[in-house]
Amino acid sequence: MNAPVHTRCSIVPPYLLSRLAGLEDPRHHNAAAAARRALVQLDPIHSARATAPRDPSRGAGTAVVLALRRTISDAYGTETLPGEAVRREGDPPVGDVAVDEAYDGLGATYGLFQEVYGRSSIDDAGLPLDATVHYGQRYDNAFWDGFRMVFGDGDGEIFGRFTASLTVIGHELAHGFTQYTSNLRYQGQSGALNESVSDVFGVLVEQRVRGESADTAGWLVGEGIFTDQVQGRALRSLKAPGTAHDDDVLGKDPQPATMADYVETTSDNGGVHINSGIPNHAFYIAATRLGGYAWERAGQIWYDAATGGNVPEDCTFSRFADVTVDAAKARFGEGSPEVEAVGYAWREVDVL
Amino acid sequence: MTRIEVSRSGGFAGLSRTWSVEVSPAEAEERWLPLLEQAEAENAETLQRDRFIYHIVVVGYRDATVPESAVQGPWKELLERARNAPPEEPAEELPDEPAEEPGGHT
Ligand SMILES: [Zn+2]
Repeated sequence: MNAPVHTRCSIVPPYLLSRLAGLEDPRHHNAAAAARRALVQLDPIHSARATAPRDPSRGAGTAVVLALRRTISDAYGTETLPGEAVRREGDPPVGDVAVDEAYDGLGATYGLFQEVYGRSSIDDAGLPLDATVHYGQRYDNAFWDGFRMVFGDGDGEIFGRFTASLTVIGHELAHGFTQYTSNLRYQGQSGALNESVSDVFGVLVEQRVRGESADTAGWLVGEGIFTDQVQGRALRSLKAPGTAHDDDVLGKDPQPATMADYVETTSDNGGVHINSGIPNHAFYIAATRLGGYAWERAGQIWYDAATGGNVPEDCTFSRFADVTVDAAKARFGEGSPEVEAVGYAWREVDVL
Repeated sequence: MTRIEVSRSGGFAGLSRTWSVEVSPAEAEERWLPLLEQAEAENAETLQRDRFIYHIVVVGYRDATVPESAVQGPWKELLERARNAPPEEPAEELPDEPAEEPGGHT
């Protein structure tokens, strides 16, 4: 009767609903998870490409696999989700900057996964992409709720709107990607890896749109979401974790770059937004050691690792490092520069 | 008076903030301690990512961790009060208005 705290456990993940409708019963969780791993072990690139129509606009009815279907909704300053749908796939810009940034950002993120890695939406089954903007009053956050991305407008003093950085949009959508693949547990090291995967693909979305190579990119997450009253360029830096901001109110960027500075804490689910600096920096080192466009080789290796079925939900940094090295070997061969770069990167951050 | 501290962690930014509010011992005992006792049973794993996490301490009594998605009703009231409470130990000679910057006026 008097229960203000809502229990949100036992939400059935949508991939189970969509793919394994016969196994909703929680007692079948293990069987469903095994089936999911089996599904992702099918080579997603070749299977998606083999079934993809050359031109998705042709052959209505067969284009489902590759269809990009975005819906942007407006919460009008409330905390009610999803809000009112204000821009659907194919609609022209509506003139509300947050709505249009979200629409374009979802398209850019979808484009990275589909055009580079051959993945059809975040679930590799054409999941429609939904976002809500103008959530809450002076709301200083963006989040993934398991089904959609949600963006606040910021308080106007420290944070502006969260759609202003493409890396934030890519980051949130990548949480959906992780939910449908490794499903890294959001606590401690596995939680920091969950965060890092989102930061990595978030920056790759932006680098690809800007045409930046690894050595010219800024490697910042959340550049442009602070107001100009804040001393800082961004929230996080993959290039130099711990240096993205240093402000009287916000404090200094708390991210470590190596295991020597790993932060043990009970807050933030065990510092998932802090210790992500370590795997983030490993990705940066691997990508810059290889050079060129980071999404092509380093990004492919991280993508292969995340989708290959070898990342357990409670993955540690060192296990994840091993999986990326194995993924590099599988795709580029033993003794390849890619394998060397990835191993070097994890050693530089003291994980291997 | 009884002090209630609210620490917010997590969120996309992962930046921690802390607020606090003073309440009467009677209010703490009647309203807030029972609320924190309820929260201790909650341990929900969710699909939500980048949401805030609130750690609430009734100083000298007990603490509780509450995910943002559960912040409704009396929790919301408590958090709003803490956020809006004036700092009880203001730094000495805190200026009422921001200092003018040299050359700031045209
Ligand atoms: Zn995140």
